[in-house]
Formats: sequence, structure tokens, C-alpha cells
Amino acid sequence: MRIYAFVGAAPGLLKTRPPQRLKKTIRLTALLVAFACIQASALAYSQTINFSGTNVPLQTVFAAIEKQTGLSFFFNASLLKDAKPVTMEVKNASVEETMKVALEGQGLEFYQSGKTIFIVKGKPKVSVESSRLTLNAGNDGLSLKGRVTDEQGLPLAGASVYIKGGSKGTVTDERGMFELKGVSSGAVLVVTYAGYKGQQIAVNGNEPVQVKLALSNDQLDAPQVIAYGNTTQRLATGNTTTIKGEDIAKQPVANPILALEGRVPGLFITQSTGFAGSAVAVLIEGRNSVASGTQPLYLVDGVPYPSDLLPNLGGILGHGLGNQTSGSPFSFLNPADIESISVLKDADATAIYGSRAANGAILIVTRKGKAGVTRVDLNAQEGVGEVARRVDLLNTQQYVQMRRQAIANDINVVGPTDYDINGLWDTNRYTDWQKKLIGGHAQYSTFNGTVSGGTANTQFLIGGTFHRETTVFPGDFSDGKGTLHFSINNVSGNQKFRIQLVGSYQLDDNHLPANDLTVQALQLAPDAPALYNSDGSLNWAPDANGSSSWTNPLAMNYTVYHNKTTSLTSGGLLSYQLLPVLELRANLGYTNLQSNETYIQPLLSTQPELRATSINGAIFGYNNINSWIVEPQLTFKKIFWRGKLEALAGYTLQQRNSKGDQLVGIGYSSDAQLTDVSSAAVIFPSTPSTAIVYKYSAFFGRINYNWQDKYILDITGRRDGSSRFGAANQFQNFGAVAGAWIFSSEPIFHRILSFISFGKLRASYGTTGNDQISDYQFLSTYTAVPNVSVAYQGATGLGPNGLANPYLQWELTKKLQFGLDLGFAKDRVLLHINYNRNRSSNELLSYALPSLTGFQSITRNFPATVQNTGWEFSLVSTNIRVRDFTWQTSLNLTLPKNKLLSFPNLATSSYADNYIIGKPITIFKSYHFLGVDPATGKYVFSDSHGNGTSTPNASTDMITMVNGYPDYYGGLDNSFSYKGFQLDVFFQFVKEKGLTYRFGPLDARTPGTFGLNEPAAILGNWQKPGDVSSLQRYSANRSLSIQNSDVQLSDAARAADASFVRLKNVSISWTIPAGWQKKLHIQNGQIYLQGQNLLTITKYIGLDPESLSSSTLPPLRIFTAGIRVGL
Amino acid sequence: MQFLLRLYLSKRTVIFIITLVFCWGCKKFVTVTAPATSINSSNVYTTDATAASVLTGIYANLSNNFSGFLPSMSLVGGLSADELTLYSASTNPAYIGYYTNALTNINTSGYDFWTTTYSLIYTADAAIEGLQASTSLTPSVKQQLLGEAFFVRAFCYFYLVNLYGDVPLAVTSDYKVNASLPRTPKVQVWQQIVNDIKNAGSLLNKNFVYSDAMTIISERTRPNKWAALALAARAYLYTGDWQDAELASDSLINGIAPFPLQLAPNLDSIFLMNSSEAIWQLQPVSSNPTNTQDGYVFIIPATGPNNNRNPVYLSNDLLSSFEPNDLRRYGGHWVDSTIGGTTTYFYPYKYKVNDPSATVSEYEMVLRLGEQYLIRAEARAQQGNTTGAIDDLNSIRTRAGLPNYAGANDQASVLAAILHERQVELFTEWGNRWLDLKRTGNIDAVMTAACPRKGGVWNVNSQLYPILLTELQRDYKLVQNQGY
Repeated sequence: MRIYAFVGAAPGLLKTRPPQRLKKTIRLTALLVAFACIQASALAYSQTINFSGTNVPLQTVFAAIEKQTGLSFFFNASLLKDAKPVTMEVKNASVEETMKVALEGQGLEFYQSGKTIFIVKGKPKVSVESSRLTLNAGNDGLSLKGRVTDEQGLPLAGASVYIKGGSKGTVTDERGMFELKGVSSGAVLVVTYAGYKGQQIAVNGNEPVQVKLALSNDQLDAPQVIAYGNTTQRLATGNTTTIKGEDIAKQPVANPILALEGRVPGLFITQSTGFAGSAVAVLIEGRNSVASGTQPLYLVDGVPYPSDLLPNLGGILGHGLGNQTSGSPFSFLNPADIESISVLKDADATAIYGSRAANGAILIVTRKGKAGVTRVDLNAQEGVGEVARRVDLLNTQQYVQMRRQAIANDINVVGPTDYDINGLWDTNRYTDWQKKLIGGHAQYSTFNGTVSGGTANTQFLIGGTFHRETTVFPGDFSDGKGTLHFSINNVSGNQKFRIQLVGSYQLDDNHLPANDLTVQALQLAPDAPALYNSDGSLNWAPDANGSSSWTNPLAMNYTVYHNKTTSLTSGGLLSYQLLPVLELRANLGYTNLQSNETYIQPLLSTQPELRATSINGAIFGYNNINSWIVEPQLTFKKIFWRGKLEALAGYTLQQRNSKGDQLVGIGYSSDAQLTDVSSAAVIFPSTPSTAIVYKYSAFFGRINYNWQDKYILDITGRRDGSSRFGAANQFQNFGAVAGAWIFSSEPIFHRILSFISFGKLRASYGTTGNDQISDYQFLSTYTAVPNVSVAYQGATGLGPNGLANPYLQWELTKKLQFGLDLGFAKDRVLLHINYNRNRSSNELLSYALPSLTGFQSITRNFPATVQNTGWEFSLVSTNIRVRDFTWQTSLNLTLPKNKLLSFPNLATSSYADNYIIGKPITIFKSYHFLGVDPATGKYVFSDSHGNGTSTPNASTDMITMVNGYPDYYGGLDNSFSYKGFQLDVFFQFVKEKGLTYRFGPLDARTPGTFGLNEPAAILGNWQKPGDVSSLQRYSANRSLSIQNSDVQLSDAARAADASFVRLKNVSISWTIPAGWQKKLHIQNGQIYLQGQNLLTITKYIGLDPESLSSSTLPPLRIFTAGIRVGL
Repeated sequence: MQFLLRLYLSKRTVIFIITLVFCWGCKKFVTVTAPATSINSSNVYTTDATAASVLTGIYANLSNNFSGFLPSMSLVGGLSADELTLYSASTNPAYIGYYTNALTNINTSGYDFWTTTYSLIYTADAAIEGLQASTSLTPSVKQQLLGEAFFVRAFCYFYLVNLYGDVPLAVTSDYKVNASLPRTPKVQVWQQIVNDIKNAGSLLNKNFVYSDAMTIISERTRPNKWAALALAARAYLYTGDWQDAELASDSLINGIAPFPLQLAPNLDSIFLMNSSEAIWQLQPVSSNPTNTQDGYVFIIPATGPNNNRNPVYLSNDLLSSFEPNDLRRYGGHWVDSTIGGTTTYFYPYKYKVNDPSATVSEYEMVLRLGEQYLIRAEARAQQGNTTGAIDDLNSIRTRAGLPNYAGANDQASVLAAILHERQVELFTEWGNRWLDLKRTGNIDAVMTAACPRKGGVWNVNSQLYPILLTELQRDYKLVQNQGY
């Protein structure tokens, strides 16, 4: 601590410069100025020096040089104790000349590094990377001191410093200082810090060492966010994949989770619909739970974020995997504010989150300010979205022919309600309803501005984003979002106390039709009437009797869903360095998600003739989820036995309050007042209100020991308590142990396999839990009978709410994982291979019960064991890196497998018919499709004896299995850059099976039914006895409806190939050359084009193989163009 | 700094203390109380008001729900039998299944009575247990509520045993017992029904009471002793206990109820709220429609039937079975019509309000005195008292504007006449026709002829509805009905 002591010994003599210069180094200002006559230009720094002095102390010369050049001096006070006063005069001399004159005969030498001049004793060895100063020599048993900083001179706290080959080592304190005692001269000092290039420095005497570490550009050293901390790919023991903000920014998505699709091995994401706010299903390393939550734990800046919304009215947004509510809470996070998203998969990475992370964890880190001059970044993006694929449907001629044939098949005649062919509708008319109803263009606009900057001690970032997107439907629907994001970081002058505050506030205003017109687009008869009458009013095409012959699809647009959500996420991080080895921290967070919904159903949406006897109404939804978390932590860092030990202990207190109400208002005197609750004639609750308090507390700890970056051991543990369980079983312990061996660090390895630049073997084993069940399942409760608007006999009726189970416990997932990480050709090619085996037991599930029990299910633990195994491969390669041109490829591939290992008494359980031991839990038992009976023209299925039948029995004849789980999935990214141009091309691929649209609408209606168009795939069906076809005869009555329903339950429909390769993303950008930027007075300028879901290659019949739906709007194809400017 | 240093020195001690404090605190922290939206089951039966609300909840549930709940028997039973015709454009697979007597173990999903009725039985079971164990209720309230719970359970099993045959008898709220119940032979189910009704009869108030289970009111919306008697008469009739059937219906017809209980003077006043013929009615609790679901669904608008709201109309089978001049058929009393296109659609017009926001004037009739006349008639005829039977028959015929019964007075002819009278008097009421055809053994004869007219082929197994596949899967001891 000598250098610091020097500064302390001469207080007031050091004056701070403007902040950006302060961070360069410690600066000595005018010392003993009174004795000096200085002639200098005070205003501007120059590279030449004028000085004249007689018998002035050396410091005076230094002060003059500092003042004239802006350079700083760095030396130990004791060095100048014996210095002789100097008499000298220089004019327009260089620094070097001046210094040579000043130091002549002093026994001192100098050298310059950046803007600092170091004064050293004797003849120092100057290295590019490090520099030393001579200390007053301790004669024996060297005591070595030094300081580790980054290239900007900011201290790196917690860097490990140890003697190569020896057992001595330490970590730097908050000022980057370290001290090692008993170092032998000639030893080699190894300095490492996560994310920076390590350095080795030969010790030369006990000179204090000044080490500047450069940021590593090796991918392996990129910082990686893990639970309660940071590491690098090189040193990580767990399986974590991080997607950087810049990769998210390349994708025009409004929900940041969608930006991960196809990019993370082991992570399977499906988007439900193409609407803003659509639900997203997220599955990490397979489906662990038979019937309860499969959601990962989400943390935004360390603060838990809800993975599900409360019950709401946005049915159009679709459901995610296994969740009962519509929409995605992540659409209320702004992608532009995200620095990185990390996906934590194995036990080592997640066990410290205990019971909440059985399904993995996703850590979202928002952007923070960086030190530097204040900069303004602006980004504007405009684009369009459209439905990328169409289903080939029957044209009018084919449709009319089908209808006539159907009626003939039924031995019937065209009836008065067969409007489509009885003359009411014009059979020469053709409307492409896909074009008319979902063929529009959605407009995308995003504007984003960020101001950031700060000093070494304080950094800030303030960002604002506006995003708006419309729909492809006719009509005025849009989603508008405004977001404000900020972060402030401060570190105290003594570098001990740190505080960080981050926050985002978003207002989302989503106007959507309540009905998805995609159904109409696919099913409306091609000769259906025009949408509008000649006078501009909606056409209901009434028959002679005044009865509307169809439901005009545009009338459905009057039924509107409107969601106004405000979202606040905020987090604080406080830390204090108690001792060089010990830091006290506290994570604090608060999130609040508040939504107001209206769902209006005006009379206008009803057929005109029914309006007189109909009632208009509206539903109002009010939901609020707020949660807070407090996590005090202690971290400890010390070098033991040549290895670095890091320990963490902490405590979590978390509470989430959910409150939701839905009110129905009906009987308005005017449609215009529907959005006003109080104008309704009658108001009543439509569903039971939600009022949930979820509390959670835990102890956790981690010990990480890294022996010379060669052997790494990581042990984590947590003791959890959750309010979701009965009093007896609230607490449970979780833990994991992981080890890594960086075998490429072994000297012998380099001799044998020198082409491998990095090699690491990893293994981890541990337990995590799942408490994703509804709250209060341990309590038996009665609630008000819902949907009653007039009290029965003036009293509220109560009804039992469900079956209670006071013995609920955690679901336990044991995760075993092996990993091999290899780097070739100086880490230009990186290969990661993972094998995971997760076994979930004590399954916590909503156990299906027969209705005899009064309910459909009870939440209980269940001794079934589900196993998920998977291979994950990821390859990142810099194929070409020449002067102006770089080509990088990254490929990931996941081979998942799911299996029910055991299920005691399966045969007598409620699941006897749903699951088979040894098979995946995602199977659907199905009929085996045999074809069409050539004699009757009906679908034929195999019965349990293998005989054909047209009326199979669901309880006995579901003899085949269809696995609804992908065989493999992955992504391929190619990135090219040439000078200012950058091109990214990303393909996503999935091999899976899914429900096809080949047999027409997925219901009981047979092809040939009135008003129902069919895919062209049904042409070539059975026409007459003897025909061999895979499609049954047309029928307009109900005679074939059972067969039509059954075919949807057969392997022919369910196991259709829904594999696809999708050009998910293309991004092209051009950065304005530096010269132009200067002329335009900007720091940075970029023009870019982006495309999402551009092309899909698939054999799937239906709108989209990802959403596998032919009744919901598929994910859209989006093109955008934008410009980024940094001021 | 000094303090912090000392803190470090005693770090272990401090961590230990913090651990202790938190450990003590966290147990308390993660314990939550019942949410504000609910009442704990342990205290719901401790006060009169909350205990009464549980039974009120059952009636509100029955009244508020249609599809898949027992009140929709008026429609579904009518479709299954020969009363109603399904509109050709209907795409509802369950309605199609019921109508063409081609149900499967999956196509009744959402329109299946099993699920909703067992759910009510659970509530009744839980209420019986909770009320019996409770010591803090006003005795009269406890007695009335217990009676209601027994009544509700009997009412539910009455329909289950009729629709599904042998059904599991769940008489406890313990899911562990109920989850693997096998079917109970019909005889035992009937025995349980009779026992429950007897219990109910001995406990229930003679008067109609309010939602506090004690205040006497004129609204006939809560079951009382007379409702228990009416249900008992039905149960005895269905089990062939003619003597008891006659006794029960007799005490309703001749008994001295503390409120007016007689046949309504004319056809148009029977289904009005609190009509003098009503033994038990359900008060509508919806605002859309404000009156009965029956009126809302059955009354076809001027533009004809439609797929969603008005998918059925009266069948020719039923229309042609009315005698000439029957006021129930002619004169727009119980049957009305609309002309859609070139077709005239006749529809049930017992309930006359289909404006969904009209002021409430009609309640859903569950038990009425008219039926009791026909029960007594049948019970009398079965016991050889054909004269008495014809008297009762004529009481009903007179109100319908018909002359007295003039047919043969042998037992078989009189019984046939009574069955016919039930067809035209009780049509589209709670599936009476469907149940009558089954219990009298006439179903195969009638439906073999009627079913093809509906687009199906009659199968003897179709007289029992199938149990949903999911139910069979979840209770491995449960066996499906024949033919499904």
C-alpha cells in the first residue's frame, strides 16, 4: 500500500483533473510551485517544453512538464528523497530531452506509457504489457506490491495474482491493489481476470508492479452472466448460453424471448400467433413435468419476472406451453434495452435458484451506462409484416362442384338454406379470402434514443423507445409501446461502496380484434358475398325472409380487445467492500405489471335481424402482479493453495401479490358507451377474482475454487421455503456440485495435441425443484359462484373451489450433465458438446381425477419419474479473417429425448391411457388410419384387433402413438463483414410432427358442408364405389361427421411431417466510413435492413409449421429498414 | 471501519446469528393465510349465512348454466327422444350425436351431464358432512340446510340413474374413496335416492324459505317439504312403488300446504314466476337472458332457426300426437311457429319470453303439480283404480280444452292414455319424454321408428348415454355402458 500511502502523505497536493483525464492515472500537480519560475503556455498543452530554474526540486520540473503537456507522473515518494535539486534551462525541448536533463546523475530513469511518465530507479526493464517502479529495496524476502487495472486505468477488483508454479497468490482489492509477501526474485507472476487477457510477468526485485490487462477478444473470455455473478466461457463449470444484445437488435421482434429462437442449444421456443403480445412457449432441455409448470425462472437484472400473466381476456393471443393464460409477459420488456440474455440449463448453473429453476433459468440483463463522454444514440426503424405462407384452397368452381357432389352423395336436394349454391350467392363470384382478410401489411415502426456516459465513478444511461405495429387484418388495430429505461451506477471515491439503480417503465396499448379472422380467411366459401353493399354498409346478404345468409367477417371486427398494460421493472444493487476479501451486497428489486383490459361486443357485430333480441356487452379485466425481492449477500475471495477461492452466501426474501378481477357489463343503451363500466345496465363478475400472495424465502451459497485455471470446482446449495406448500413441507434443500478440467492448460497437452488451443471437460450433478402449481392448493376453500349477475334469493352463492392437499411437496429434478469444450486454431473454432440427463421425480402435478370426486383434478405429488436426455452441439468458427473481411459461422443442434421412466400403478391411475412407461410423455394415442373404404367412401381405421372400422372406439382403438416432441432442432448463423458492411444470415430448423390441415378444418364438419371452404389437398377424394383414395366422400349432412372428427385423431392427421427450415433472420448493415462520419459530425452512423421469418421450406399443409395452427394468425414475415446514428 | 473490522473478526458469530434470526423468520414468512376471495372450508359451516350460501350456490349454479347442466335436459332429452328436430345447419357435434342417437364416448364433451351433476353431488356431500359436524348453527337453519342437501343429492342421482343406468354412488366428499368407485347397481342407487328424499322430507320446512334458510317467503325458489314429496312421488313411480307414489302425489294434491298449491287455471299462467302450480322453481340469475334459458333457446325468431342460439324446433312426431283442439297445441299457448323461408317452424312456447333483457316474469319450473296429477293417475291405474286414474287424467285434459277421456277403461288402455297425456303435457320439460319411454319399456318400439326420421339408426344400447372416455380413463373401475 505504499503508493497509496504516498498519495495520502501529501494531501492536497494532488488535484483532480477533469474526470475523463482523472481515470488515466494518478496525477501529481504543482509541488513546491513557489520555488519555480515557469514559463509556459497555460492554455493549451503542447508537446514541447520551456523551463528554466535554478536549484529547484525535481518535483518542480515534473510539475512544469505536467502543466505544459498534460502528462502525469507516477512514482514513489521515497524515490525523490535523495534527489538533488536541479539547475536547468530548456526551450522547445521534447519531453524526452527535458527528462534526460532533469534526471542526469540522479540514479533515476523514466519511461513513458500512454500519458503517464513513470520514474524508476536504476535501469528498469520495460515491457509492453507491464511496468515496474523501483521500490526502496527490501534486501531479503521480497514483498511485492502492485496494482491491476484495465487499459483505461480503472482498477480491477478481484483479479487473481499468483506466483507461477508456487502456492502463493492473492486477489486485488477494490482499488486493484495487491501485496504478496515472501516472493522469490525471478519468480513469474500470473495475473488473470475474467474477461481479460491474462498476463505473466517476471518479477524483478521487489518493484511494485503496475499491470494493465487488455480485454480479451477471445470468445472464451467474453463475460458470461451466471446466477449471482459473472464468469467466462473459459472458466464456466455450468451449461449456459448467452445471446448478446447486438444479436437481439438484429431481429425485428417486439418480444425479446423470440430473439432466442433457434439460437440456443437445448432451448425450444414456439410462437403461438402473429399478433403483438402473442404467447410464447419456452422449454429448456425438455419437458420435465407431466402436468405442472414447465416455465423457466426469469430474472431481469436479478429480479424475478412473472413467467405467466394472470387469467385475462386476450384469448386471441394464444397460450404458451402448459399455461392457462393468454399472451406473454415478455412482450412488456423492450428488446432495445437488453444487453444480454443468458439461458442457464444444468444443475450447476441453476441449483442456486433452488425450487424455482427445475426448468432452467433465463437471466435478462439490461443495458447500463459506460464511462466516457456523453453520447447520444438514435435508432429509427420502419417496416412491414405479412403472412408469409398461404394455404392452397378450392376456387369457386371446385367449391361449387364439391357442394353439389356432397348433396348428391347424401341423396338430397339443394335446400333453402344452401345459400352458396341455391342462387342467393353468385356462384361466379370468387374472393380470395386469405388475401382479403389476412393479406394486408402490418406496419412496424420503432424509434429509440439513448443518452449515456459518465465518469469513472458515475455512469448513467437513459433510453426511450417507441414501438408501434399494426395487424394484417382490415381495420384499425395496432399495438403501441413506449418505454423509458434508465440506469445509474456509482462507486465511491475509495472504490468501496457501489450502488446501481436500473429501471424500465413501459406503457403498452394493444388494440386487437377479439376474433382471429384467420379462421374466416381459410374457411369462408369462395363465392361468399361481397363485404360491403354499394352504399358502403356491411353486406349481410339476407335471404327472402330477411335472414342473414352469412356472418360478415368484418362485423366480427367490431368485437374488439383492448389491453393497456404498464410494466415497471426496477432493481438496485448495493455493495460494500468490508475487507479486501469480503464484500457485502444487497440485491433489491420491485416489479409491477398492471393491465386494464376491455373486450367489447357491440350489437353491430350481431346479424341485423337478431339485434332486436340481443344484448350488447363488455368485459373489463383488471390485473396486477407486483413483486419485490431482497437478497443480501456476502462474497469472499481469496487465494488458497495457489488457487482462487470464491464463496458466496446469501438470503432471499421474495413476495408476489397478484390481484385480478373481471367484470361483465351488459345492456348498454348504446354501443358507443361500451368501454364505460358504469353505463352498463347490469354489472357482475364473470370469473372468480384472483387474490394471491406468494411468498418465498431461501438461503443459498456457492463455493468456487479455481486452481490455476486448470481445475475448477463449484458447489452450490440452497434451502428454500415456498408458501405454495402445506406447513409440513414448506422447506427443502437443493444443491449441485460441478467440476471442470481445462486440460489444455496441462503442459503435456501442448506437446501432444498442439492444434487444440483450448480444451475443457465439465461435469455437474445436482438437484433443482419445481413449485409451479397454483397457490393455496393446500387449503380447501369456498368462493362465490361465478358469472351470477342477479343474486339468487338476494344472496351470494358459495361453492367449493377445489380439492385441497395439505401434504404437497416439491417436485425434484436431478440433473446430470457432461460437457466438452474445445477450441481449435487459437480458439478461432470453438466446439461445445453437452450431454444432459434430467430426471424429475416426485412429480408435482394436477392429478386428473374422475368427476365422481366433484372435480377434475387434485394437485399432488406423484412418484412418477420423467427423464429428459439430450445432446447439444454448438460450433462457432471464424472461417476467414483477413484484413477487411471476416466470415463467421455458428451452428447449434439439439437432439432431445423424453421418456417416462417409471409410473407406479400406471394401469390403475387416471393416466393409464395417456402414458406408456418407456415412451415420451408427449405422446398422443391415436387411431391408425387405414384409408378410405372403396365401397362406402368412409374413412377406415384399424381397430384393436387390426380390422378396419369406420367407427373406432376411442377407449380401445387408439393403438398408435404420435410423439409431439421434435426429433431435433437448431440453427445456423453465418455472419460476414467487409469493411463497413455486415451481413448476417440465420436459419432455424426443426424436425417434428404436427397436426396437418390436409383433411380440412379441424372439427366435425365434413368437406361439402355449407359455407365451408377446404384446402385443395382434399381434391381427388372418393367419388364412387371402387375408388381408391385417402380422402372420404363429400357430404353436406352429418352422416360422416364422426369419421371426420376421427381422422383428426388419427396418425394420418397428427403425425404429418411438420419439419421446417426457416430463414429466420437476415440482417444487412452498412456503417458510414469514419471520414464521412467526421464530415457529418457524428460518432457513428449505420444504415441497415432486417428481415424476420423470410422463407420457410416445409412440406407441411397449413399456414405455419411452427404455430401448427390453421385457425390462428401465424408468425409474420417482417422486413424493416433502419438507421442508427451516434452523436 | 473499526466496527466493520471487528465484525469481520467475529464473522462466523455474526453469520450464525443472522442465520438463526432468518431461519426463525422465514418459516413465518412463507406461511400465507387464505386469500381474500375465499372462505376456508373449515369455517364455512360455522355461521348460518355462509352455510346457507353453499346451498344457494347450488341453485344459482343450476339456474345459471344450461349446456351440460341438468336444465338443458329440456333440449337434449327432447333431441334424444322424438320431441325436437335439430336445425340442418347445426354443426354442434354433441347435439348431432344426441339427435341422431349416435353418441360416442367423446362427442358429448361439454354437453355431458355426468361431470356437472357429480360436481353438485360433491357439494351436497360436503355440505351434509359439514352441516352434520357443525355445532354453531341455529338448529332450524341447520335442519333446513341439511334437508336441502339431501334433497339436492337425491335430485341429482335421480337424473344420473335414469340417464346412465348403474352409476357410482358417491356419498362422501373424500376424493380418495370417490376416485375409484365402481358402478353401483341401479336398485341401490334408487334406494339411496329414496332414503335421501325421506331424510329431506323429515328435515325441510313446510314453507318456502328465503336465502337465510328461515324467513318464510312466497318465492318458490328453495326446495321445501313439498318439493321432497314431489320428488318422492316421482322416484316411487319410476321404481314401481305405486302405493307410495300415489300416497306422495296424493298428499301434494290434497294436502294442506301453507301456501296456495293447485293447478293453474290456464295454460299461459303455469310457467310464470311463483305460479300456484309451482312446487319448485329456479330463479334466473343471469342478465342475458334475464328470464329462462328455455324461452331464450326455444322461441325461434322471425328469421327462423339458427346454428347458435335457436338450433331446435318441434318434431312432427310430437306435433302430430296432439288431439284436435288441444289448446296446448293450437291457439298459440304452448306451441307457436315462425316461417323461415318456405318452412314453418313450430317451437315450444311454454315459456314466452325470449327478449334477453325483459323484466323477469318467468322462472324455470322444476317440479309442478300438473305432473303430480299424472303420477297419481298412473299409480292409481297400476293399482287397478282406473276410475281414479281417469279422474286425474281428466283434470289435466280439461285445462287443455279437451273432453274427458272416452277411451277404454281397461288398465292397459288407461296407462297408454296416461303416457300419451304425459307426452303432450310435459313436452320439453326436463327430458320427461325420454325418461318415460325408457321406464315404460316403449323406447325401442318408438325410437326404431323415430330415429331414422332424425337421420340415425336406433340401437337398443342408445337408451343409455355413454360415459366420457376421460372419465373412464380416470377411474379404472368404471365400466362403459354397452355399445360405446
